[in-house]
Amino acid sequence: MPRKLKITVDTNVCVGNATCEIFAANTFALNEDRQSMVVNPDGDPEEKVLEAAENCPVSAITVADAETGETLFP
Amino acid sequence: MVTAINDDLFSPAVVNDPYTYFSQLRDEDPVHWNEKYELWVVSRYADLVWVTRHPEFFSSEWWKKDPRGPYPEIDESDLGLYQYVREFFSDWFIQHDRPEHTEMRMVVHSYFNPKAMELWRPIVQKAVKSLLDEAEERGSMDAMKDFAIPLPLLVIAQMMGMPNQDRAFIRELAEKLLFLGRGELNRMQPLTDGIKGLLEYLSPIVAERVKNPGEDLLSVLAIGEKKGIYTRDEVLANAVLLLLAGHETTINLICNGTLALIQHPDQLASFREDPTGRTVRATEECLRYDAPVRSIQRIASEDVELGGKMVRKDERLRWFISSANRDPEVFPNPETFDIARYPNPHVAFGSGIHHCLGSTLARLEGQEALRLLVERFPRLNLEVPARDLSYQPSITFRSLKSLPVSWN
Repeated sequence: MPRKLKITVDTNVCVGNATCEIFAANTFALNEDRQSMVVNPDGDPEEKVLEAAENCPVSAITVADAETGETLFP
Repeated sequence: MVTAINDDLFSPAVVNDPYTYFSQLRDEDPVHWNEKYELWVVSRYADLVWVTRHPEFFSSEWWKKDPRGPYPEIDESDLGLYQYVREFFSDWFIQHDRPEHTEMRMVVHSYFNPKAMELWRPIVQKAVKSLLDEAEERGSMDAMKDFAIPLPLLVIAQMMGMPNQDRAFIRELAEKLLFLGRGELNRMQPLTDGIKGLLEYLSPIVAERVKNPGEDLLSVLAIGEKKGIYTRDEVLANAVLLLLAGHETTINLICNGTLALIQHPDQLASFREDPTGRTVRATEECLRYDAPVRSIQRIASEDVELGGKMVRKDERLRWFISSANRDPEVFPNPETFDIARYPNPHVAFGSGIHHCLGSTLARLEGQEALRLLVERFPRLNLEVPARDLSYQPSITFRSLKSLPVSWN
């Protein structure tokens, strides 16, 4: 079983670039304000989620291990 | 009393002081039909964000789709050149909508991600220090010519793997491309010359990168061609885009930021007290207060209501960063330059799917240039009276013509 992730998007920072949606389409989607939100933390493999976080142009995404709380990104 | 709105966006009054002009527009007619140039002028922050986050209504493909002619008007004999220019700019990835935009942007997106850009910080620091050493030896400098231009030009040329000695030549051609946002009747000739010159320069280099790709940015584009995402013409056009956008806007960030600091001695003093600790917020405030890019254009894909006005399909629309960044609905005391301002959700890099690809690099260069400048020269001042400074007559770029400074 892949580990559970805790993914957060800082909406004070998110500019709606939608890169996360491109890298991990089952995890992220844009809300009504066209900002990113997590629709399913188990939607994509961990490396896709990390890739999405790394490629966010404004570093709005953080990823942690949901059980241990260990930060995986940044 | 409501005064008439001056629709000449290229007039010296609007070019030199856009802030007074747009403050009136935001209050009186925030989504304004500019009769003179037949386009909608969007001046409020909320409307700008809404437009940029709804690319399905507001297309970026205006070079291709605009049924109206260029504005301001051009020499009739230049219509052939206009056609050439139009086809060239239509190949820029930023002038595409989804799905092509996504595919084209993704070729270069990861190259510019924050983690990758951070690796360039030491290179930028070294370049800034060496430019400041040279300036210190001379005793004064034109912050534009001697500091703001060489720094980002060096960085982008290095990213693209271009020889150092070619930089002056590249800049000379790039300056012709800046006629892009200007109003001169005969601007199509320098624009065409700039495009053709850069294409001629880049063609053999790109051909070589397609054959033997390396790690540089041109190779990243060349790989996009190998994957069938870009044609060769598109690789070349987007190489020109990255070269131009990769330095022009940062030049303006450095110059406009330096000027804002000089003109607000209390803020300069505060920055000087803790350059390392204050550089991030100070740079963000420079981006807000006197943004490098003034405005960006779209064209309506269908009839859509915006701020109580009906924008019709195929009508042009321009959103003004210079205005949105001073919107009192979002920024308390918007006319105040405050290097500690937080939060500071300025839109200097736009917003939405077209949010500036190079924003992280621009921020990094701006931070290092401003921080090291203030550390090196605590007593920075203008060499000429402020009234002698002037701006390029562009509605796209907020570019000073020169910025002579000294530090005694």
